[in-house]
Amino acid sequence: MTSKDDEGGSGEPRPDLAEVLDAKAATLDDNRPEALAKRARTGHWTARANIAALLDEKTFQEYGQLARPAFDLRVGPADGLVMGLGSVAGQSVAVAAYDYTVHAGTQATINHAKSDRMMHIVERLRLPFVFWTEGGGWRPHENNISARDFEETFAMMAKLSGQVPTLGIVAGRCFAGNANVAGLCDTLIATRKAALGMAGPPLVESALGLKLTPEELGPPEVHEASGAVDIVVEDEAEAIEVARLYLSYFSDERTPGEAPDPMALRDIVPENPRRAYDVRKVIEGVADVGSVLELRPRFGRAAVTALIKIAGRPVGVLANQPMFLAGAMDSPACDKLARFIQLCDAHDIPMLFLCDTPGLMVGPEVEATALVRHSSRILTAAVNATVPFMTVVLRKAYGLGYYMMGSLPLNPALLVAWPTAEFGAMGLEGAVKITHKQELDAIDDQKTRLARERELADEIRARNTALQVAARYEYDDVIDPADTRDVVLKFLNALPPTPPRTGRKRTIDNW
Amino acid sequence: MKELKSEVSGFVVSLEAKAGDEIAAGQVVLLVESMKMEVPVEAQMAGTLEEILVGEGDSVAEGDVVAHVREA
Repeated sequence: MTSKDDEGGSGEPRPDLAEVLDAKAATLDDNRPEALAKRARTGHWTARANIAALLDEKTFQEYGQLARPAFDLRVGPADGLVMGLGSVAGQSVAVAAYDYTVHAGTQATINHAKSDRMMHIVERLRLPFVFWTEGGGWRPHENNISARDFEETFAMMAKLSGQVPTLGIVAGRCFAGNANVAGLCDTLIATRKAALGMAGPPLVESALGLKLTPEELGPPEVHEASGAVDIVVEDEAEAIEVARLYLSYFSDERTPGEAPDPMALRDIVPENPRRAYDVRKVIEGVADVGSVLELRPRFGRAAVTALIKIAGRPVGVLANQPMFLAGAMDSPACDKLARFIQLCDAHDIPMLFLCDTPGLMVGPEVEATALVRHSSRILTAAVNATVPFMTVVLRKAYGLGYYMMGSLPLNPALLVAWPTAEFGAMGLEGAVKITHKQELDAIDDQKTRLARERELADEIRARNTALQVAARYEYDDVIDPADTRDVVLKFLNALPPTPPRTGRKRTIDNW
Repeated sequence: MKELKSEVSGFVVSLEAKAGDEIAAGQVVLLVESMKMEVPVEAQMAGTLEEILVGEGDSVAEGDVVAHVREA
């Protein structure tokens, strides 16, 4: 075919275009049956399938589709990293996914150059960034290229902290450099098939003589409990669903969701003060139906952190969980709360504290975990946050635990209590042991002494009911629990518009 | 048959239902005392309480199966 024949447009691409189209087509899943079969055998999705499932149809502008491995002899479409821009429910985002069918998703000279460029674009355009990080770390076959000394991938990922929301998804084996990328994300999702760790089996075997499979080294159950992973999901499809929900908290979309039944809130806190309850029910009771995304549910379980929406508006909830340690705050719970405050503050998501804590956890075991330091992180995060927050005291509000859970000195925009609120500057039983030491020491019979202790504590308790504390104006209001959602909405309505941001407000601690 | 597990370690303070009872979703089946608090073990779904595997005073560990429920 000559160029002359093409005049007038036959619809057939000319050879120059055809060559490009063929090169591009060769990178697509349909034209890579062997790679596809490999993924199917292990029950994993391809990088392209993940991206296609997340993005709105026909919105993907790929970057570096025609890139190839640095060594001519090695094949590898896109050098094993599929990336670009697109939109999710109309919101512009950037995405990147290591391709496990290309040299086990390894990081290499050319794909480092690609990811570096992507992250510079993410920074400049201020786009939320979703990164599927499955892969085996550095590709050792490229060891004689010193690219590793120049690549910025990890440094850039760290630099994005607090500038744009970053979300990592681990749906397979993810070790070394790939795991480092995961660890640098604001939030991390892992599927049941994930295996995650800083050093993979070959390194573990040579250093420690231990023969382990990747799945034995870093299964999702371990990371769920350790707090390394924020959300464990069943499979890739659920990961996409959760990713869409996660991105929605950072979107300008504000369509109000369905309100839950408000009356249910009246009966959640039991009349019996010793009876625990699941604080998740309170969160469900104020949030739009289906809008609750809990982060790190199996870690630091004496606290609950969740992103929710109220009338379509994003809110970060920080709650004590009376089901665990009676809601007493241990080091993991403090770490979880402190980090979540930073996440909300960095991305201007207003916060809601739900307080029901007997205070910080006590005892030699918890002191040995450096609670002195871990608990302090909450205050440093909260006091220096500029995003507004409000507090609801549900029941117990004791000691420094309450101080940290959004009390008056932290300057909440609104501080209210439920009728069940209790207050004490420290645990009441402990307090009377000090204030009435002589009287109590004089009682020989242990039972009588305990009864007197309880009586004294009850006297103080009676002086610190919700109404008593409100009379001293230490709460802005005591509310009907059924009105809680409306009260939070009034708080949200009172907030000024979020000032436009051009830079970073704060970084987000990786832990 | 669904397993009902205790989410916390502690000891059983009281049984709030008995084998054979028809129970509703969210109904408290028994209470475990932990950190001086009574922590409820609730049915996740409506059904028949087939058996309770613990008695008052028994100690339970986190994740222990304490009862079986046959879904309605």
